[in-house]
Amino acid sequence: MIEPFTVPFMGRALAEIALLALICGPVGVFVLVRRLSFVSDALTHTVFPGVVVGFLAGGADGIFLGALVAGLLTAVVLTVLTRGGAVTDDASTAVLLTAMFSLGVVLVSRRSSYTSDLTTFLFGRLLTVTTQQIAETAALAAVILGLLAVGARALLFRAFDPVAAAAAGYRTFWLDLWLNVLVALVVVAAVRAVGTILVVALLIVPAAAARLVTDRPAVLALLGTGLILAAGYAGLLISWHASIGYGIALTSASTVVLLLVAAYLVLLPAGRLR
Amino acid sequence: MTALRYTGVSVGYQGSPVLTGVNLALRAGRRLALVGPNGAGKSTLIRSVVGLAEVLGGTAQVFGRSPERGRELCGYVPQAGDLDADFPVTAGQVVLMGRYRRIGWFRPTRAADRRAARDALDRVGLADHAGRRYGVLSGGQRQRVLLARALAAEPRMLLLDEPFNGVDAVSQEAILAVLRDLTAAGTALMLSTHDLRLAREVADEACLVNGRQWAAGPPSEVLSDATLREAYAP
Amino acid sequence: MSFWDDALHRAVAEVILAGALAGLVGVHVVLRRLSFFTMALTHATFPGVVVAALLGLDLLLGGMVTGVAVVLGVAALSRRTGRNATAATGVLLSAGFALGAGLVALRSGFSRDLSSYLVGSILTVTTRDLLITCGTLLVVGSVLAVCARPLLFTGFDPSGARAAGYAVGAWTLLLLLLIEVVVVTLVPAVGTILAVALIVAPAAAARLWSARLPVVTALAVGLAIASGLAGLYASARWNLAAGASIALAATGTLLVSALLRSAHR
Repeated sequence: MIEPFTVPFMGRALAEIALLALICGPVGVFVLVRRLSFVSDALTHTVFPGVVVGFLAGGADGIFLGALVAGLLTAVVLTVLTRGGAVTDDASTAVLLTAMFSLGVVLVSRRSSYTSDLTTFLFGRLLTVTTQQIAETAALAAVILGLLAVGARALLFRAFDPVAAAAAGYRTFWLDLWLNVLVALVVVAAVRAVGTILVVALLIVPAAAARLVTDRPAVLALLGTGLILAAGYAGLLISWHASIGYGIALTSASTVVLLLVAAYLVLLPAGRLR
Repeated sequence: MTALRYTGVSVGYQGSPVLTGVNLALRAGRRLALVGPNGAGKSTLIRSVVGLAEVLGGTAQVFGRSPERGRELCGYVPQAGDLDADFPVTAGQVVLMGRYRRIGWFRPTRAADRRAARDALDRVGLADHAGRRYGVLSGGQRQRVLLARALAAEPRMLLLDEPFNGVDAVSQEAILAVLRDLTAAGTALMLSTHDLRLAREVADEACLVNGRQWAAGPPSEVLSDATLREAYAP
Repeated sequence: MSFWDDALHRAVAEVILAGALAGLVGVHVVLRRLSFFTMALTHATFPGVVVAALLGLDLLLGGMVTGVAVVLGVAALSRRTGRNATAATGVLLSAGFALGAGLVALRSGFSRDLSSYLVGSILTVTTRDLLITCGTLLVVGSVLAVCARPLLFTGFDPSGARAAGYAVGAWTLLLLLLIEVVVVTLVPAVGTILAVALIVAPAAAARLWSARLPVVTALAVGLAIASGLAGLYASARWNLAAGASIALAATGTLLVSALLRSAHR
């Protein structure tokens, strides 16, 4: 059960997932209560042009910076758009998502190997995570947890009762930007290593599953982190044994997601009983 | 001490007025009822006190300051029905939110804050409901939790938007008792209602609005049949 | 050589048909705020398409069957967990995406399929694709025309419609299924991203110009077709990815509409 993780690349993959569990558990709670599933999905797509431009400008090292800039830009634009009101929130999110992603595709389509770039972007390379990437993720995780610790109370208040929070003197616009930036940072921290499929799932599924068995935000966060850790460990183990023992190429990212979804389905009846 | 002084005020959103010609003065320890039909501008007026609706004309003073700066002395109680009943938060946590501004950004929640929240919940008679989810409480209990949240901030003026909407008799009595205690201790009170009987019972001043201010003064005068007919069918 | 043997001619025809289809349902998607549901459908029907490909069945059939399952799943999950349909939709999106991608990875040479699934390949659209889009347009268009009144009533005022005797749940389900049919038809031809772009952006732009449903619908269809043709032209002229150019053109219509409308005010 432990032995596969003594292989360096498996150990690094587990470390990366553990770091992501630490940040996605708490951030997922806010994604759930603010109904930001679509925003999370959008952010995983909108960092794509940043990744492309970053790669074209600075090679592999430029990807991180490019994704960061694109992610923060999306967070700002989304916050401004959802405040405006002429176009509904979900429509403007959808349009920003498709536009930014298309921009990335247009940029990438000028180069030859464009399908393989796209695939990496979707799946990430969990098994080829480098120590440097783990360090990047750890640094961003520290920033994210710090921002979250300071803002958690205000963000919770705003999510529950935006009018009373504003009456108490909180600036809703800045709180919304705060949370969107947090989600953007999570996406940037995770997307290169684990791909868009896994990031979206980590932000949405654990909190939704935990919500079926608890009402308390702090427990939601802890349970979410626990679920990711468990699914990450089991997913890596299963895809390892499938590939070593049976020669089946199970994508580890997909396996982790499907385990999380399975947890959600198992907990569904529990939520119904309560 | 004058808690609220509005002189020739118009309030509204995005530059267009909802309610005009408001002249009000509310002293500490007094209870003011805002009365008018739906869409009369009652909520907008209450929101303007805490800077959530725009003051488009006249001068509005909250404890001698602008609404944005005076609101830290105010407690605002929204309508319970507007909130998400599915939200994962307990009654105790909702009340603790009233302390958040006082706690600030960087300080952790202390025992004193939790005690203040517990006391506030106790005052509205829900001390044993602290651990229950907000959404499973009855409409009246939810309204009392929101009142407790405002109390936890120890405000000098309390603003309540239709606090008796969809509220059972027990909760209504509990809310009324708390409001009387508060004003006896010197808190100013402003509440909106379309229930004239309640307005007469609870308030010692009344203000009748419908697009503009029609009358203000003692409830017996303001809520007379003649003035009401005039305001409700302009 | 007939007119339809030219890839560009076929692409033009497909863009016109797809634009009309997207504009028709797009109005409902925008008015009922179903953009995320639409996005989720594009991802969640993915495993059905892959399984159909693995088993050698018709891709469209695979997509349709999973699509119906997803629609029923969203309806059931969002009823059970109270009002938070967003989370349930997100879970289904993640599940479908991961399952589909995992299945694709089991086959070799998967990266090409995957990227064409995302961004489409409108220049390789076949005559069969054209006929299917055309048939869907006829069916969806007539259902929407016949059911226009109940769909409008139940969407605008669910409780009022229920009081008037409409089965609101059934009408909502019908609309979700119509969206599903459109998404499943469009995705193989134009890709997921472009399908969402064509459905949402022109309808959102049209909504800025009018509040009357027939006008909004006509405008949405017109803008969707126009952005399709403009994108195709840009793609041919500057050698860009066709699907992405069309999506950007659709975004352009919304951007220009928003600017013109705010300047007008």
